[in-house]
Amino acid sequence: MLTLSAWVIENGQVMAASSSDGEGGNLGLLFLLSGPIFYVVIYLKYRNVDKRHKHESETEASLHNMQLHDQFVQSKTGLTKREMAGANNNDVRGARRKFF
Amino acid sequence: MHNDPTAAPIEQPENTGDTPRVIKTDEGAKDGLAKCARCGATEISLNLATGNLRCGFCRAEFSAQNAIEAFNLDADIGKLVGLVLGSGSSDIVPSTSEVLTFKCSACGAEVVIDTTSSTQARCHWCRNTLSMNQQVPNGAVPDMILPFKMTKEAAVERITQFVKKRQFFAHPKFRAEFNADNVMGVYLPYMVVDINAHARLSGQGEHETRSYTVKVGDDDQQRYDADVYDVAREFDIHVNDLTVESSSERLDQNTSQNSNNIINTIMPFDVENSVRYDANYLKGFTSERRDSNLEQLSPIARVQAEDVTRHRVNETLTFYDRGVRWTQEDIVVRGERWVSAYLPVWLYSYQEVKSNGKTFLHYVAVNARTGETMGSVPLHQSRLLLVAGAVQVVGTVIGIVLTVLGI
Repeated sequence: MLTLSAWVIENGQVMAASSSDGEGGNLGLLFLLSGPIFYVVIYLKYRNVDKRHKHESETEASLHNMQLHDQFVQSKTGLTKREMAGANNNDVRGARRKFF
Repeated sequence: MHNDPTAAPIEQPENTGDTPRVIKTDEGAKDGLAKCARCGATEISLNLATGNLRCGFCRAEFSAQNAIEAFNLDADIGKLVGLVLGSGSSDIVPSTSEVLTFKCSACGAEVVIDTTSSTQARCHWCRNTLSMNQQVPNGAVPDMILPFKMTKEAAVERITQFVKKRQFFAHPKFRAEFNADNVMGVYLPYMVVDINAHARLSGQGEHETRSYTVKVGDDDQQRYDADVYDVAREFDIHVNDLTVESSSERLDQNTSQNSNNIINTIMPFDVENSVRYDANYLKGFTSERRDSNLEQLSPIARVQAEDVTRHRVNETLTFYDRGVRWTQEDIVVRGERWVSAYLPVWLYSYQEVKSNGKTFLHYVAVNARTGETMGSVPLHQSRLLLVAGAVQVVGTVIGIVLTVLGI
């Protein structure tokens, strides 16, 4: 069951991401997956396997002697995704919580 | 008392960065009978209402010195160079016994303390309490301790409320056997780390300049225009009180095997209110011994400090609303300070025996300082699958209708 949950979490996130891109037509697909989505929502509410200490934001830290460098490179048009490809400024690599 | 609250701060060693420098945190600590300074009794325990230690006979109250002041742990992180560590954080020597024998100085009997779950024991002959306060290299006595603040009654109430909100799909056996009064007060072992680092991050960031829809066939699709920038940030960062579990069991947070992530979630603690270690704070509670050394914990703390750095620097990147892709992250640690601590947790545990005979330990944990509560409740899988199936049937019908209508 956990395997199913992890699969749905992953695919749910993909769907949520694609839905937020405003491509439309996904509402019907969401309803077709309502059973697994319901299962995952309840599973997470009871088991809280997704929870962890958010060390990256809950740890006190201060920045000093900041030097900024921002240089314009180019303009891009017609991009299909709302977020920059490969953006990693919100990555968390030190979480101890693992699903498997 | 061995811990004099009026004592002057212990001089923090200067560090040149060559070798680790140790802050002696059990200076003046004594093992054996820790007597009340007023009446000489050894019945001393924590008074949760005041946060002080109280003599069970004459009701005199006293407290250990604040550890941050005592060990000068609030000294400027920017001046940290090399490795500084509390003597209670030093490496565990594998040959050091976990079960130690003390001679009772009141009656001469030999008393055994099993340090895996406590640092106190009662003499079976004269009923005095013997305390272990000196650090031996087995990880049992930390540099500091954060006393319990929340009462057991308050913790029971929070655990009950937490479980009450998760009744319908809870396993029937759990519902029948749940009793929050079985909650245990446990001091769990952690390392508290300050880090002084210099960082240089470089890469590219994107700023959205336009958002619009285009027609592709019959569909409307979203498109974006953006400006791309080369971005770099160079700075010093001071990380304060990064807290890492120092028990190998608690560090294992594989959620398919255990629910240790629950205990992890209730962090952070107000570690700045920790006091010098005194075994009397443990009376009525249990403790878990540290079994991990800096060698295992340092890589974890480094990666987490890098996460803190990456997220903290986001405050200078608000212009890049589409995100930033760092291609180079150079974070050099100039200095770090490690102290070991016992932090207080009210822990309810429930062992689920599954149909295949395997067991799974569920926790509901309460941070005994902040009251933050998190838990894992065993599920009634067949009921959940049945209801999820019913939801699927209804969802399928609605989904087909919406798909046909092209919504």
